[in-house]
This record gives sequence, structure tokens and C-alpha cells, in this order.
Amino acid sequence: MNLADIYQLWQGAWPAGVTMLALGSSFAVALLIASEKLKVKVDPKIEQIYEALPHLDCGACGFAGCSSYARAVLEKPELIGKCAPGGPETSGKIAEILSLQISDSGVLKRPIVHCRAHDDDKSCYGKYQGIPTCTAANVLPNVQACKFGCLGFGDCCYACKFDALGIVDGLATIDYEKCTGCGACSKACPRNLIEMIPFSYENMMTVACSSKEAGKTTRAMCKVGCIGCGICGKQTEQFRVEDNLARLDYEKYQPTEQTETALNKCPTGVIIYVGKTAPAAKQPTEKAVSA
Amino acid sequence: MRIDTKGRFSFTGGTHPPESKTLTSESKIQSFPAVKQVAIMLSQHTGAVCRPLTRKGNTVQAGQKIGDSDAFVSAPVHSPITGKVKEITLQSHPVLGRSPAVVIDALPHYPPKRPDFKLKDDFDENSYSAEQICDAVRQAGIVGMGGAGFPTRVKIEPNPRLPKETLVINGCECEPYITCDYRIMLEWTNQIIAGIKLARRASGCSKVFVGIEDNKPQAIEAMNAALNTCADSDGIKVVPVKTKYPQGGERQLIKAILKKDVPAGGIPPMIGVVVLNVATVAVIAEAVIYDSPLTHRVVTVTGEGIANPGNFYVPIGTSVAELIEFCGGLTEEVVKVIIGGPMMGIAIADLTTPVAKTTGAVTVLTKKQIGAAKFAGRQTPCIRCGRCLEVCPEHLNPTKIAHAVKNNLLEVAENYYINACMECSCCSYVCPANIELTGYIKTGKTLLAGQKESSPG
Repeated sequence: MNLADIYQLWQGAWPAGVTMLALGSSFAVALLIASEKLKVKVDPKIEQIYEALPHLDCGACGFAGCSSYARAVLEKPELIGKCAPGGPETSGKIAEILSLQISDSGVLKRPIVHCRAHDDDKSCYGKYQGIPTCTAANVLPNVQACKFGCLGFGDCCYACKFDALGIVDGLATIDYEKCTGCGACSKACPRNLIEMIPFSYENMMTVACSSKEAGKTTRAMCKVGCIGCGICGKQTEQFRVEDNLARLDYEKYQPTEQTETALNKCPTGVIIYVGKTAPAAKQPTEKAVSA
Repeated sequence: MRIDTKGRFSFTGGTHPPESKTLTSESKIQSFPAVKQVAIMLSQHTGAVCRPLTRKGNTVQAGQKIGDSDAFVSAPVHSPITGKVKEITLQSHPVLGRSPAVVIDALPHYPPKRPDFKLKDDFDENSYSAEQICDAVRQAGIVGMGGAGFPTRVKIEPNPRLPKETLVINGCECEPYITCDYRIMLEWTNQIIAGIKLARRASGCSKVFVGIEDNKPQAIEAMNAALNTCADSDGIKVVPVKTKYPQGGERQLIKAILKKDVPAGGIPPMIGVVVLNVATVAVIAEAVIYDSPLTHRVVTVTGEGIANPGNFYVPIGTSVAELIEFCGGLTEEVVKVIIGGPMMGIAIADLTTPVAKTTGAVTVLTKKQIGAAKFAGRQTPCIRCGRCLEVCPEHLNPTKIAHAVKNNLLEVAENYYINACMECSCCSYVCPANIELTGYIKTGKTLLAGQKESSPG
């Protein structure tokens, strides 16, 4: 085949070649536009979580595989710690991606308020007229009688980005349905009343008081303050009284019959359940109020 | 009669709140009847907290030392009454914070101390050595009685690194309502002059200026008359200064009299100056000449909410409630009880708060004074009028600092010299938008000092 032959062939075939080229490039452009327009948006966090998972698709978490667990955990942060093969290490990575706090055992931490005194329960000497923030009020002594309890100006509410905190009758109250466990409220409280504790169970038992005053003083200041009587400590070793204040080790907390008895026997009712489906806190017994 | 000081002795900035001093300015210092109970705070000064020297159930004599500390910057505290220690408990105080206090129940029939100081005729300050005076001042537990409560011994003691040349005696009393220093200047003039001479001898200062605001012509006259009659008063000069709030701030007084600036964040000894309050020098005389510790002080109980306002010689540790009761109680429209004056004082909610060495007044205000302004208590956004900058005696930018604190930007507040603020409240007073600038600044200072009162339970 000489040069002239090739030329002759080209003479006959070029329209077909150009047509193919044009078609190809127009499809390419169409595909390009379509891929941009019809893109399915995936939260980059899902990919990050998926990367952090062990990729075994074992199903121990109760989901079809690692990718569906990654999607689920983004929506429901309390599912953290379900990955058995990954263990606490994986849970830690996921918590970091979601900027959440988890306990050593990989349980998601949520805030609890160590006070349960509403306006009617606490005693005040006068009316505070200064700057209406907890931080400013905390600078002064005697804004309210109790030096440990919730001031109720809502610094924590302003810190919460998820609208999960509200001041109900002078007490910061957490809506656990909305809470994501980010811990911003805990940092905002000038009295360090809000603690991040691992929610090993849906509802956690807590000591809703921080008063380290002697029992007599606490009683005079607040109807629902811990008086350090130690009745809870006699029921179960999970409770102990330090500095006139009952404490519960939340890392090791286990609901037992004894803890239930402690809750029921508490004379001022500072031991309460908190959580999504927590039963309403009981009122202090008559004896405790009148004493 | 007003002494003309136009444009001469003052500082830039400041403001003119209503003085309201006529309520008590003509009432003589009265001795206070026997009190039932006192609570002596163990930290009534800047510096280390004292440790108690007595125990529950012990009997203490009037003038007995009940708390002391080995720290250099500290001052012992003494019992003003003879009585039995009921308990040692934590007590909150709006100015001093929370510290332990010794609560003493008075023994019955214990006679109250009277302000019966008589200067000896043969008084000569040269018969006391500087060490003797400093020691007596320390032992008597004397602290700055103008409000800051800095231990006086540390101030007047000769320090080779910071030699002192000038002694400034602060008799300005610029805060509205308060008249305790004014009455001291009128009634205890000789005692003040004896104290000035002793302080001069101890500190080795050559020049002494007594700054008195020109709204107190009688005090100026009384001091001048006493100085003319007593010997060896050449270096002591009474200087009338312009009536302006906060003329009684030590930096402002130094600026007014000596035309010198104390460096920012510094203290007056850096430029060779010592500033003492008139009440402080009066107790120096008492402590050195009679070995009498600081157990009583003059307190002005005043304000429109008090039935019988007056100036009283009160045992330190007396509760505010007892003071008010003695003055005929509160009238009906009372809304605020303030420790100190209306500008720098702090409102208290708990009337069991005890009088401390630094408490010059208890001011009780009614709704008329608090709510006089049409929009009082209604904060509106800053309109950038700059009035707070105009009045700030320290030349700070209060609104910038306040907004930084409000938005939790403490580094920004620090860069704008939040710690140079002396909390005189001029900015809050003039703010047309009712922004509580001083409140924010105070909050910011406390946050910077890292005070978080309690920890989680």
C-alpha cells in the first residue's frame, strides 16, 4: 500500500471519522454535566467514619455492614461503641470525627445538671439586678443562698447550638432528645454544674446537687439539696458521701435493686433519673421539707 | 465658700455625680452601743489570709489578736470586743470574697469602746524609730482604710529599691454619700497630724501633701488651723483639689497634686510616692502612741432609705443588719443596700455581712434614687457616642473591653488593659445606653484571675 492509496481511503472515510469524534465528545460533555447535576450528596463524615471502621462487615453492630453502620452512627450518636471488632479505639476515632465526648469504655457522654432546685425550692436574700448572665452573677456572693446551685441565667442555653437546653423555672433543663453530647454547655457553666457522664443506659441515675455545705446549711438554703445523710451509701456501695455530698461513680453505674431503694429512700429526693424516657423526679418527703 | 482651684489641681476625665453628702456631713461621730455578736473576717486585706489563733469556745479579750500570718503582705486581725468564740466559719463578703471568719458572742455588760483619743502634750514623733513605727503598724493590723485594704506597713516601710520622697494624704472622699473621712478630718484633726508625722518619719518622705476636695472647705480650714498651731509642720501642705469623681483614686490624686503619672500596671512607690488615707493615718497615731490595735472604724450609715443616717464608731465585724437597726431601721421603699458608696460599692443581699476594715459606708437607696432615670435598667445597644472614653480617668476604652468580655474574648480585653481599670464606674454612670460597662469589666477581671468558685460534685 502506497501513499496514494492511503490518501484515497482518507478521501472516502473522513466524514465517518469526524462524525464519530463529534458524537463522542458531545456524549462526553453530556455525561460530564449529568454527573455534576445528578450527583448524590454523601456526607463526608460518613466516608470518614467508614474509613475508621475495620471493614470486616461482620454485622455485630446489628447493621448490614460497615457502611450502613457508618450512616446510622451519624444519625444516632448513641450507637457509638457498637463496633465489637474495632473496640474503644474505633469508638474514639468516630467520636473525634463527630466532635463528641465518650468514656474510656466507648460510651457516648451526655451532660447532666448537678442541681434540681427550681425557683420555689431555693431561697434567695434579694433580687439580683446586675448583668443577667451566670458568669457575671457568679462573681458576686449571695446572688442566691446556695453557692453551688444553678443560677438560672442560661449561659449554658446560649452555648447550646442544638436548642437542647432551656431554663425551666430557674433551672437549666436538658432535652435529651435534642442533645448531641457535644459538651458546650458543660464548658459554659461558671459553677461547673454540668458534667459530661457516660450514658451506659438510656436513663441514668444521678445525684442532682453539688452543695458541699453541711447538711443543716443546705437544708436551710434549699428544699432539694443533698444533706449528706449517707442513706444511699448504706444501700449500695455505688454511692459514697464526700464533703457532705453523695456521689455516684457513673463509669461503673449499674441499675440494681439497691440503687432503686437508695433513690426511693433519699429524704430530699436529690437522686433522680435523667434521660430520654426518665420518670418524673419524686418530690422530697414532707419530713425533709419541714425539718 | 468654695476655694478657687479652677483648672489647677485635677486630672483629665471623671464625672460629677450628685454628692448627697448633706445627709450625714453635719452628724458627729457617735460611739456605737455594745454589740451582741461580731464576725471578724480573717482576710480583710490584700495578701495572705490569716490563720486563726483561737478556737471555738475560747474567751477572747478586747484587742486580743485572733488571726495572724507569717506572710510579708498580710495584716493580723484583732477582736474588738470581749467575748466567747462561737465558731470559725466561712463568710461571704461582697468586697473581700469568701474567707474564714471568727464569730464572737459578746459577754454581757461589756462596755463599748469610745473614740476618746487624746494626743499627749509631749508628743514627739522623733522619739519613735522608723522600725518601731513600722512594727507597731504591723502589730495593730493596719490596712488601707480607703477601700483597697493594702497592708500599711508594706507601704510605709523603707524599701531600698523604691526610695520614697513624697507622702500624699488622701482626704478627698470623692464618693457620693460618704462622710466618714470628712468627719474624721474635722473631729480628729490632731490625731491625723500626729499620724502624718509618724508616717513621714517611718517612710522617710521629705514632702507631705494633704489632698482635700474643695467641697469640704471646713476640713481644709481645720487642717490648716491645726497645722499652723503645731510645731514641726513645715513640710506638710494642705492642697485643695477640684471636686470631681474619682479624685480620691490614688493615681488621680497623684496626677492632680504632683502632675506625675503612675506607670500603667505599676504602683505609686515606683515614682517615689506613698498615698495614705486620712482614716489610715489616724489609726497609725493610735496604734503607735497607745499600742491600740485596729478594732474599730468610722462607718457612715447613710442613704434615703435609712431613718436616722449618721457617722458611727463601729466595732469591726458588726453586721450590717445591726448597724441599720441602730439607725432606726429601713424605710419602706428601700431597694438596695450597698457596702460602700453608690459608685464603687457593691450591693449586698445578705444583711449579716460584717463590717470590715475597709468598709467606709453602708448606703441604703430607695426606688427614687435607683430608678430615677427614665430608662434605668434597660440596656440598649452602644451608640458609639464615646462618652465613656471621655470620662475614663485611666484613659481606657470601656466599651471595647466590655464587649470583649461579653463575647468571651478575654485576650482582647487584656490587650485593651482591662486590669488597669479601677472600677470607678464613671463609664457606667454616663452611658446613655445604660450598658453596665463596669459590671462587664469586673466580670472579665474575675474571669482572668481564674476564679471558678466551685467544682463539680
